[in-house]
Amino acid sequence: MITPTTLRAQAETQAARLPPLLARAEHLAGAVLLGDHGRRRSGMGDDFWQYRPAQIGDSRRMIDHRRSAMGDVQFVREREWQIAQSVMLWVDQGAAMRFASGPDLPTKADRARVLSLALAILLIRGGERVGLTGTALPPRRGNAQILRLAEMFSEDAADDYAPPEHRAMIPHARAVFVSDFMGDIDAVKLALTKAADRGVRGVLYHVLDPAEEAFPFRGRTIFESVGGTLEHETLKASELKDRYLSRLAARKDELQALCSVAGWQYGIHHTGSSAQSGLLWLWRALDGGVART
Amino acid sequence: MMILGPIGFAAPWLLLALIALPILWIILRAIPPAPLRQRFPGVALLLGLQDDEAVSDRTPWWLLLLRMLAVAAIIIGLAGPILNPDDNADTGDGPLLVVVDGSWAGASRWAQAMEAVDAELRRAGSAGREVALLHLADPDAATFQAANAAVARLAGLAPQPWQPGALSDMTDALPDGSFETVWFSDGLEYEARPDILAALQARGPVRVTQTGASVVALAPAIYEDGTVQLTARRSAPGPERGVTILAQGRDPAGNAAILASANAVFEDGATDAQTALALPSELRARITRFEIQATRSAGAVTLVDDSLRRREIALIAGREGREGLELLSPLHYLERALVETADLLDGALGDVLPANPDVIVLADVATLSGGEADAITEWVEEGGMLVRFAGPRVAASDISRAEEDPLMPVRLRSGGRSVGGAMSWGSPKTLAPFRENSPFFGLTVRDDVEITAQVMAQPDPTLAERVIAELSDGTPLVTRKRMGQGQIVLFHVTANAEWSTLPLSGLFVEMLERLAISSTAARPAAEDLEGTVWTPQIVMDGFGSLRDAGAMPGVPGPRLVTDPAGPDLLPGVYTSTDRSLARNVLTADATLVAATWPANVPVSGLTNRPPQPLGGLLLALAIGLLLADVIASLALSGRLTGGLRGSRTASVAVALALAMPATDLRAQTTDDTALNAAVEVVLAHVITGDRQLDEIAEAGLRGLSDTLFFRTSVEPADPIAVNLETDELAFFPMLYWPITPDQPRPSREAYAKLNDYLRSGGLILFDTRDGDIAGFGSASPNGRKLQDLAAPLDIPALEPVPRDHVLTRTFYLLQDFPGRHLGGEVWVEAAPPGAEQIEGMPFRNLNDGVTPVVIGGNDWAAAWAVTSSGQAMLPVGRGFGGERQRELAYRFGVNLVMHVLTGNYKSDQVHVPALLDRLGQ
Repeated sequence: MITPTTLRAQAETQAARLPPLLARAEHLAGAVLLGDHGRRRSGMGDDFWQYRPAQIGDSRRMIDHRRSAMGDVQFVREREWQIAQSVMLWVDQGAAMRFASGPDLPTKADRARVLSLALAILLIRGGERVGLTGTALPPRRGNAQILRLAEMFSEDAADDYAPPEHRAMIPHARAVFVSDFMGDIDAVKLALTKAADRGVRGVLYHVLDPAEEAFPFRGRTIFESVGGTLEHETLKASELKDRYLSRLAARKDELQALCSVAGWQYGIHHTGSSAQSGLLWLWRALDGGVART
Repeated sequence: MMILGPIGFAAPWLLLALIALPILWIILRAIPPAPLRQRFPGVALLLGLQDDEAVSDRTPWWLLLLRMLAVAAIIIGLAGPILNPDDNADTGDGPLLVVVDGSWAGASRWAQAMEAVDAELRRAGSAGREVALLHLADPDAATFQAANAAVARLAGLAPQPWQPGALSDMTDALPDGSFETVWFSDGLEYEARPDILAALQARGPVRVTQTGASVVALAPAIYEDGTVQLTARRSAPGPERGVTILAQGRDPAGNAAILASANAVFEDGATDAQTALALPSELRARITRFEIQATRSAGAVTLVDDSLRRREIALIAGREGREGLELLSPLHYLERALVETADLLDGALGDVLPANPDVIVLADVATLSGGEADAITEWVEEGGMLVRFAGPRVAASDISRAEEDPLMPVRLRSGGRSVGGAMSWGSPKTLAPFRENSPFFGLTVRDDVEITAQVMAQPDPTLAERVIAELSDGTPLVTRKRMGQGQIVLFHVTANAEWSTLPLSGLFVEMLERLAISSTAARPAAEDLEGTVWTPQIVMDGFGSLRDAGAMPGVPGPRLVTDPAGPDLLPGVYTSTDRSLARNVLTADATLVAATWPANVPVSGLTNRPPQPLGGLLLALAIGLLLADVIASLALSGRLTGGLRGSRTASVAVALALAMPATDLRAQTTDDTALNAAVEVVLAHVITGDRQLDEIAEAGLRGLSDTLFFRTSVEPADPIAVNLETDELAFFPMLYWPITPDQPRPSREAYAKLNDYLRSGGLILFDTRDGDIAGFGSASPNGRKLQDLAAPLDIPALEPVPRDHVLTRTFYLLQDFPGRHLGGEVWVEAAPPGAEQIEGMPFRNLNDGVTPVVIGGNDWAAAWAVTSSGQAMLPVGRGFGGERQRELAYRFGVNLVMHVLTGNYKSDQVHVPALLDRLGQ
């Protein structure tokens, strides 16, 4: 079980290798909060953007005299349009995530948490606001938020398959759902629908264990869920493999379809591969321009 | 116990459990294997999936077979199988007499026989029979008692070096009543055996146990034709076989050693094997016994007496025999009597005495010169025997007339007595029978010995005890006196046939033998030993081991030769006065005959296949099969390879299978360091006990070694720390000795080593390390310590290094020798006072060799010291000047090592032009 401090340390390690993430917002509505996030256009930020000649309507106070003294025309210093982006995270804390097939593989929950927190660090470094879906931890800026996020991630939920938290989503923000999505697909559908309603775009990251992909069981087996709620007995496990795999593929396709309908992105990560690759994918997914299918 | 072929079962009813095996098979086959519980989150996706077929996964047949075999092995193993069970199905009833031959023939297999007897007794005990034990060679009255008591007596049985005696000795040893007999025979036939067998058969059934092997023994060694003839005998003819015969004796230091060995080969079907051993006489004289290698029995040992030794006899005559008249020569008959059995020495007395003969015979020698007489007296007193024969010269001289001559046993009357001659008054006299105290006692006096003339002995109070042979009228014929450890014997007749016919008769030879003048080649017959009593010196027991006889009673001579060995005639070495005779187990003509038993006596061999319990083996097999079953089950359920947690068990199984023994590292031994130091040039520093100082010294010498390596052709190996007490100093050209006040002072042996080292050209560099605060002397504690340490050393006079000392120019041209400190004085061996500068040379030729010590205080090691990465360890001076000083310190070190290795090479004239150039003159 990863403690909050080690979780942070691991996440910092992951995040240290990537440049700060700049998330792009497609449109702004409502109240805009000023932040460090430069928008590559002039606006009301802190950083310098460009000099432009003064026009009628600009207040005299905005004239930059240093630049104007170089020529005849009066110049106004423009600042970059900076806006703070909100990113909401949800990591599945259910018991089913606390499963690893081998002693040298991390549990799915560990991997999910590390990836999410690394992502959060990158975002916060880039000036975004990161928080959790639901009311427990609304998005905020600052390093303290990383600690709070780590703390929240370390809480385990008791039930086997937790449904995605879809409440209190800030409109037009971004969201990242990290889970194994083995549970009820309807909850996921509900969450995505609500998110689409609010205009939240995001990433669905499917974390799986290699054993769940490969199904290497043989012989007479009683399968139990990690939380102990579900049970299935079979006399010959090798016979079930094909059908299980087809079911798994069907689940993935369903999730993919949901995402494309909702305008989200869908990614799969196996705990057997490196966390760096997962983080890279997440980063590009959030940084990408048009929503990819 | 149930016996099934070669295997017997101790608990046969357990085998009934084998019936259950097929039932077990059916049950196991029907039951499917236990399900595996697996935690799997994807079970949510599995819900609702039905199994295609209701066929359960069965255990494969080979796994069932493995389990069956394991269970079967357990059942059979617990039933107690025994290989080669001893089936005593025919144990009878009634008392049992165990008869053991117990002679030397069974000594080589005594342990095996005793084990068989022990087994027999225990069997009888478990059957509840009474047992009695009878040792035929050493019969005690045998009484029937419980088997345990008999087993306790068994330890006291030992083989005896003789064969069992006559039946009459045993009749009262046999218990009464009827009994069954088990006879453990040694395999050799002896006289009383059929009688004893008949007596035992009269009492009940007899069973015989004997080994089938033939008994090997050694006949006495005979010396003939210059070689020692050895004969080995065996009781039964058989295939070809070689035996090694060892000659045991004492080496010149007195330790028991094997002096020689010979191989004798029994031909196919032969019972005798002969071999000859040619040995020099000194070696022969030291042999004490011959034995057959690896056979521990009295018969395989032959003791050696005087017969192998030939005495050295020097014959000296008063007058030489003329050629053609040998029969009149005084020595002729002596030579004929002695030549076969002794080594004769000819020569003058002066030549013969240093050869230390055993006997000197003076035939008709009257006077001896003073020196000769003294030499002979000394020789006699050390154990030599002087035999003198009378003759005309002795009769005509006045030796030993007035008073007894030291080299004559008696006083002689003037004028010999002629009997039977022209003026005789009687017929020639014959010898009287020999008295009891005479060494000739027991010899038969023959009628053909007649004495016609002899010298007369003067009647003296001491005469009676000195006479050992006399004529029939009591006139002494042979007189003897002892002197010191030797004796002087005088035959009152001549050594040839002039005065008597004694030399012509066989009695002469016998008398010479009795006097131990000649050595006996052949074994003496019983008549030759008549009248002698022999006491045992060394006796042998049944196993062939020798022990001192102590105070055992003597044996009359004839009995020694003819009687069979027995409790009162143990084999061994017997002595009588001066002669020794060995009585061995096997006489020269004895043969070994294997014992044959009549047909109605069952003969069995000693069981050499002990019963072997197999239960342990089978249970171990069962455990192995169960382990295999475990691994197979794991493999089947997928846990062994590729499973979720399978790699863990697989690695555990692999780790159990391979247990690599740790190889022990061997640290470099002192031999290796010595080898290293001897092969390469190695700089050495003396261990002072101060760890930091020693480290700096080693680092300094390492730096110097590196510098030498880079700049010169000297390529030293790593420096070595030298412990003055234990290490050898000769390997090191130079010793660096840093001084601290609390160093231990070397011991005296270490100082001796150091002095040797200095004398043989070594150099010690003493470094007091306080050149900045003190000069050379007792001004500082280091200086005082140096004086204390160097006091016992052999150091010549010292002086400060003169400007033209060879040390200033051996490699670099230097004038000062800085280390970490600059300016301290360096002292070397003083130049001889007369050293002068030769015209044209810029230097004087000072000492020829290497100065034994260099003493200074500039702390050179600190300046030379480098770390393992090659950087300077300690700072020297400051800045650039300091580095220059360090460079000069290195140069001094190089100069010093060059000086050590090349001496005053640079003082040679050949270098002068180059030096003059360099010095700018």
